Amino acid sequence: MKQKKVFLTEDEMPRQWYNILADIKMNPPLGPDGNPVTPEQLAPVFPMNLIEQEVSTERWIDIPEGILEVLNIWRPSPLIRAYALEKALDTPARIYYKYEGVSPPGSHKPNTAVAQAYYNKEFGIKKLTTETGAGQWGSALAFACSQYGLECKVFMVRISFDQKPYRKSMMQTWGANCVASPSSETKAGRAILEKDPDTPGSLGIAISEAVEAAVTDESGQTRYSLGSVLNHVMLHQTIIGLEAKKQLEKIGEYPDIVIGCAGGGSNFAGLAFPFAHDKINGKDVAIYPVEPTACPTMTRAPFAYDHGDTAGYTPLLPMHSLGHTFVPPPLHAGGLRYHGMAPTVSQLIVDGIMAPRAFGQVATYEAGILCARTEGVIAAPETNHALACVIDEAKKAKEEGKEKVILFNWSGHGLIDLAAYDKYLSGQLQDFDFPAEDIKEAEKVLEQYPKPEIIKNI
Amino acid sequence: MGKNQNSMVRRCPRLGNPVSFDYCEVSGDHQQPCFKIVDCWWERFDVVQYLQDNLPEDQFIRLMQARPKPKVASLIELIEQAKGRTS
Repeated sequence: MKQKKVFLTEDEMPRQWYNILADIKMNPPLGPDGNPVTPEQLAPVFPMNLIEQEVSTERWIDIPEGILEVLNIWRPSPLIRAYALEKALDTPARIYYKYEGVSPPGSHKPNTAVAQAYYNKEFGIKKLTTETGAGQWGSALAFACSQYGLECKVFMVRISFDQKPYRKSMMQTWGANCVASPSSETKAGRAILEKDPDTPGSLGIAISEAVEAAVTDESGQTRYSLGSVLNHVMLHQTIIGLEAKKQLEKIGEYPDIVIGCAGGGSNFAGLAFPFAHDKINGKDVAIYPVEPTACPTMTRAPFAYDHGDTAGYTPLLPMHSLGHTFVPPPLHAGGLRYHGMAPTVSQLIVDGIMAPRAFGQVATYEAGILCARTEGVIAAPETNHALACVIDEAKKAKEEGKEKVILFNWSGHGLIDLAAYDKYLSGQLQDFDFPAEDIKEAEKVLEQYPKPEIIKNI
Repeated sequence: MGKNQNSMVRRCPRLGNPVSFDYCEVSGDHQQPCFKIVDCWWERFDVVQYLQDNLPEDQFIRLMQARPKPKVASLIELIEQAKGRTS
């Protein structure tokens, strides 16, 4: 029997996180007044020990024993060789994935939820608040708080609250108090409900409620927790890549290509940053964050009027074929418009360390179905973006006759997201091809729109 | 909102679950269109034209010129707003 999984013992778990801020230059975050943010400004929502991590430029940061003792409920996570997928693709590539679906909530999110709950507890905090959409983050934080005996309050966007009852049940099982947002528990929520009692809510409202609940606790024992984008979140996730490196070393492998899906960037950063460190230090490794062609943050849509630089933006018409891969020209810093993407990931793209890729939704579900029927695991819908890229690269390896090593992050399972698979399997998902004449017509229209001022980051 | 667009549903990358286009029209700040509405729907129909036809001019221009706000800056804004609401 061939060895399929590579394990680390608990003793072999990394004892330090890798901080990419030691190796890249970033502008300090600015507040709304345009001045650099001070720790005191963030103190109402985060404990000072996490704020220190947010701004730290130390390359290696110790993982406290109190965190490792909870992480070892499911960590080290397995590194798995995707033999069946390789066979189905008839590729010479060797495909490995880091499987983060083994965590109690089923995704990578608790890697930072656990760390954040620990540091808040150490700081004397009794209660954490947060917002959640479909509930992946909310359930991760609920789990983490239960491990440290913290209260957890989750404001879940009403539309998701109604659509995803099992996520709410998970949070409640772990002892969290999950309420639909807008709620009557905050001034922000009440103001919205007075205007529109039937509102489906929004992430913006839920964040306002979670922040208000933290800021207005007069005991000073409540803080807010965020599961993506921020530097300390990326830091905590690097345990994924650090484990993967050790596991690959055990079998004498090193990846040619590292792939992860990138929404807010955290699971991708978790796998990729330790390899980005190697690349910065001269290693030859390609690193691909992957996103949907619709709603891109790192690549750009042909119709995205305001994504481009004003100089030299060329629509991607010759390359644009929805449902297939397209590789847009690199964004230059002036055109950055990475809504919700981690600034560190954005910077590494600008620096050329990483190259974003985008795939249409049908390609991603095709990939998800193929992987479910070969490797056996039903992937979370966002993971399917990574899978589509893996399959694309494995096919290229076949065309080129190269034995490439592909490593990707299987960020979570999709067992609570089966409605999306149902839509795909019943033929309700499709990609959309625009006739060329429609694109040309749209371009004429776009010419009339106001052009935003270019944002210069570097 | 036209009937055809209303019947459209896509996965919201911010929430992580399916939403219809009419949700995107009200899920931004102050129950106005989400700042990602164009990015998310350009594949389906000429959403820019639709918005131009259906939004007041100043609102349309604001949406087109919407800038991403760095997370830390927006958090500080939210902290100040929360303090203001409850003081």
